Amino acid sequence: MSVIKKVLKAREASSFCFLVALFLVVGVINPSFLRAENITACFNTSVVYTLIAVGMAFAIFVGEIDVSVGSNLGFVAAVVGTMIQNGQNWFLAFGVGLVIGLIVGIINGWGVAIMKVPSLIFTLGTNGILRGLMYLTVGVQQVNQLPKSFKDISSMTLIGNFTIYYCCAVLLTVIIHFLLTRTRRGRYFIAVGDNAGGAELVGIPATATKIWAYVICGVMAAIGGIIFASRIGIVTSLSGNGYEMKAVAACVLGGISLSGGVGSVIGAGIGAIIMASISYLLVFMGFSSNYDNAITGVILMTIVVADSLLQKRAAVKNRHARLAARTEKVTKEGAVR
Amino acid sequence: MKKLFKGPNAGWNLFLVFLLVMEFVVFGSANPKFLRIPLLMTASNDFISICIISIFVTMVMITGGIDIQVSSIVGLTSIIIGVSWQDFGLNIWAAVALAVFCAALCGALSGFFVAYCGVQAMVVTLGGSFLYSGLALLVSTLSSTEAYKGISGFPDAFKAISKTKVFGVVPMQIVIFLALAVIAYFLLHRTKYGRKIYLVGVNQTAAEYSGINSRLIIMSTYILAAVSAAVAGIVMTAYLGTSKSDIGGNLTMNIITACVLGGTLSTGGKGSILGTALASIAIGLLRFGMPLCFKVNTQYLDIPIGVLLVVVVVGRALVNLPSVQARLGRLRPRKDKAGAGT
Amino acid sequence: MVVTNSQTRENQTALLSVRGIYKSFGLNQVLKGIDLDVSSGEVLALIGGNGAGKSTLMKIIMGIYTHDRGDLLLRGEPVTVANTAAALARGIYMVPQEPLLFPNMNVEENVVIGFTQSKAELHKELVAVMEDVGWDLDLSRKASGLSIAEQQMVEILRGILRHADLLILDEPTSALTFDEVKSLFKVIRDLQQKGIGIIYITHRLAEVFDIATDVAIMRDGIITIHGPVSDFTREDLVRGLLPPDAEEAVKATGSVSAVDYSAEPVLELRDFSGYGFSDVDLKVWPGEVLGVAGVVGAGRTEMATTIFGMDRVLGGKVLLSGVDITGKKTRQVIQAGLNYVPEDRHLNGLFKICDVAANTTSASLYSRALGSVFLNRRAEREVTDGYVKSFRTKITGQEQLAGSLSGGNQQKVVIGRSLASGPKIVVLDEPTRGIDAAARGDVYSIIHQLRDKGVSVLLISSDMEEIVELADRAVTMYQGRINAEFKKEDINQDNLMAAAFGIAGKEEIGA
Repeated sequence: MSVIKKVLKAREASSFCFLVALFLVVGVINPSFLRAENITACFNTSVVYTLIAVGMAFAIFVGEIDVSVGSNLGFVAAVVGTMIQNGQNWFLAFGVGLVIGLIVGIINGWGVAIMKVPSLIFTLGTNGILRGLMYLTVGVQQVNQLPKSFKDISSMTLIGNFTIYYCCAVLLTVIIHFLLTRTRRGRYFIAVGDNAGGAELVGIPATATKIWAYVICGVMAAIGGIIFASRIGIVTSLSGNGYEMKAVAACVLGGISLSGGVGSVIGAGIGAIIMASISYLLVFMGFSSNYDNAITGVILMTIVVADSLLQKRAAVKNRHARLAARTEKVTKEGAVR
Repeated sequence: MKKLFKGPNAGWNLFLVFLLVMEFVVFGSANPKFLRIPLLMTASNDFISICIISIFVTMVMITGGIDIQVSSIVGLTSIIIGVSWQDFGLNIWAAVALAVFCAALCGALSGFFVAYCGVQAMVVTLGGSFLYSGLALLVSTLSSTEAYKGISGFPDAFKAISKTKVFGVVPMQIVIFLALAVIAYFLLHRTKYGRKIYLVGVNQTAAEYSGINSRLIIMSTYILAAVSAAVAGIVMTAYLGTSKSDIGGNLTMNIITACVLGGTLSTGGKGSILGTALASIAIGLLRFGMPLCFKVNTQYLDIPIGVLLVVVVVGRALVNLPSVQARLGRLRPRKDKAGAGT
Repeated sequence: MVVTNSQTRENQTALLSVRGIYKSFGLNQVLKGIDLDVSSGEVLALIGGNGAGKSTLMKIIMGIYTHDRGDLLLRGEPVTVANTAAALARGIYMVPQEPLLFPNMNVEENVVIGFTQSKAELHKELVAVMEDVGWDLDLSRKASGLSIAEQQMVEILRGILRHADLLILDEPTSALTFDEVKSLFKVIRDLQQKGIGIIYITHRLAEVFDIATDVAIMRDGIITIHGPVSDFTREDLVRGLLPPDAEEAVKATGSVSAVDYSAEPVLELRDFSGYGFSDVDLKVWPGEVLGVAGVVGAGRTEMATTIFGMDRVLGGKVLLSGVDITGKKTRQVIQAGLNYVPEDRHLNGLFKICDVAANTTSASLYSRALGSVFLNRRAEREVTDGYVKSFRTKITGQEQLAGSLSGGNQQKVVIGRSLASGPKIVVLDEPTRGIDAAARGDVYSIIHQLRDKGVSVLLISSDMEEIVELADRAVTMYQGRINAEFKKEDINQDNLMAAAFGIAGKEEIGA
């Protein structure tokens, strides 16, 4: 019983309800949408968003942000794609890609946690550098001669219509979720974002935790980049552009508070599905994909504003209740005396 | 004018002037074409929007916020001008006025969410960048012209905005930039309104306790930034002769870099128009000089700009580290005393 | 195993010894050679006024600050406490004055975070501890909904569960109600029985005799008194707290221009209610200094900020020279002639990276005297210069940043700011908190100057001596209501203290 209660109270539950409601509304408007292959397609297309949103969630948990994930993803996709295109060993290519993600994460973590540069500014800088490096890698042409066998992995299915990539992403998300909620160090991420001063006082290494958050974020973006190359099959110099924004939006949609300390990676995964589905859903609702950005913007702004107002109201109410309790006590105690 | 270099940021401003001079020396010696004034003046079209917008984004950053939606407002302005002129038959100047009004509205909306709803500026303007670029796209579908082609054929009176040369040398867009910079300078450094911007940025609750309507002040800076983006959109549309919804491209990093390089503190409370103006020109020259003199592809320009941003913020953070500060303090104790005396 | 108090004290070397600790922040020397010992089973009451250096010393022990000179010894061994984790590993735990909990986690998570054992094990231990100390606290409640007392309980649980040998309690009773204080004292005695050493920081002398075994007094960065409580009387402790020349100063304020109580009151509150206070009736006459005493959390600051337009009015009226200003915006209240000097000057008063001039004029920017659209720099300089001179503020120039001033000078700047708007009445909220003795004297003389000019002062202070010295009339607030009023001749520390704690007569709080 308490488990059900807990689940219902969780913020990601409302995101999930939102997702279901979204599907149902579209289904009412256009019943042909409510078919298994359409639903699974929505999930499958969200694989890259899921990975980077889960990574981004860590940066946001600790109260920071990482806007370099889009270029990080693009750069890794370009490097891995180029290597595979040139006939290098796949696993070597994957290894190089992950190392790039790791290094980017360490650099971002260093800048934000140790040098204490505001995270948006610092990662905006690394974003530019990575974008430029990506142009250097891809050049004017594109990476478009990827071997078919590499591209084909993306259409292999594992369970029902779900692709092997999506299954892996879900598995990874669930594992991370358990590590985050069930282990001692996992709780550190939330604690640091919740109250950095308090974390320091109970002996939680805030700086190291923040660096770890960025490393995870970087590596997740790298994994996303590899899958991106395989799924899309083409890497241009613009690949991954703006993905950082989608990842942040996915986190927000998944109930992760941008002030840190609240939310779960499961929520980020659900948010990613919503983000990925929007353009798909628009087609079924008879809108052109031109509406994509505007709708994303409206949803994003509505949710953050509503969330912020609710939190603000709750905080004010809490304070007032506490203050009011003080004045009431006097009558009670006065009666006793 | 000397006075401009005497404020608290004097040292940094001098450094920026030095940076500008160095750019002229390095680029000029690598390729003498760089020093041809008419060429430089024409090339300014490519970076003038960075300069125009960053001086007003500086005000947003002084209040402790950030604005990453301005580049999408540039595109929105451009497409509104085009569509309302060509497809709705508005007079070109009425179209321009409409576009500026819409931009101000966009800025006001985001500013309202930041100031009155307490949402982080970063998130609101992120949502804004989606929303306004999405709106721009939708506006472009109202036109009979295909979106990718852009709307062209504007009247000469409008195109004159970028073609006119004052005194035969200085192009209009530079005059516009300088005029805006002077206005911004007086607004921020000379008026009571500007003082309030600083106070709100340094300590918003203390500003509230001083009876300053901090939320209105914060919202107003977003409107100003959006209007400056609209002006940039007008200048760019006039220069290119076409109106497109994605004309703003990716200006965000350049603008933020200009602000930060200009000495603006991203946590608020500090920054100057002169600094940002100098820094934005330095960035513009970099964007002009690198391809011209070193055959750097324009697409790679994100690397030096990104490096510049990271180096500046890390450098400044280094100076602020207690251990480094202690060492610096030991190095120049006498200089501090001399400075304090004046 | 429970060891009795006397055994532990004889058999062991001190749990913690502090030897010759010095610490300064910039030019401000906060600690000037501190020596202190704590043994197990000892409750050392550490007393001192605001700014005496207690918190700094504790932060050094906790590894948050590093000291400039001196040694820390744990059980006789010299140690360096590089960070908080190291302090925790050595069995030192501090319950900060403002509990630092994770608002989005529940009570249990808050307590067990940072431990290595399994959750189930910790839960069992936690439940056992709770039973042991007899606390009834729902472990699944979210921390954001806890009262301050409950938050402190959570902090103490953290310390107990860590098997801390040395527990530092930083003014734990400052936000607690009478009953909560009683239960806290019981816990402290239990812990003491278990052989835990406790440093109990307080500024309430009465508590010392209730709970402490030893006492140390700090004043201006030195220890003036240190020894078993039984060696001292209350008067001894008071003498230790006062600066050597203080007695003269207290006497010197006898000559007061009489307040004209027949005139129209400048400020009048009628049945004024808001969040944290209710049914307040109050009158302040021109040129009067009205002291408002009480303990922290009695609702005084809430009352002041609500008058000032920062929070919602729930009922009643505020009249300023007969004009109704109830529920007006802050700017309108300032323009009407009331200004407020906030309690927390860092958070609500000071613009640290702005210069002195900008700080001084910040609350009077609406005034035409400073220009209509453009800021009149000359007028600004003149205004600032006036306050710098009359307050004897030590600055290198008007361009100096407010953040680089010492605490006392910062406070003078903040007071100058509120006077620059030309108020008829100023509300000073804890005006001498955290500033040194000399600056305190200057603030007192500013208050005298104001009174001479006919400006009324509503002086909110938890420092009873301050109210005794300055006030023409005093009221005390207890749990949101005014519970006593004293004429000039009836104001003394005992009366105020008793009323502030809601006790009739001269009884003191305690077990």
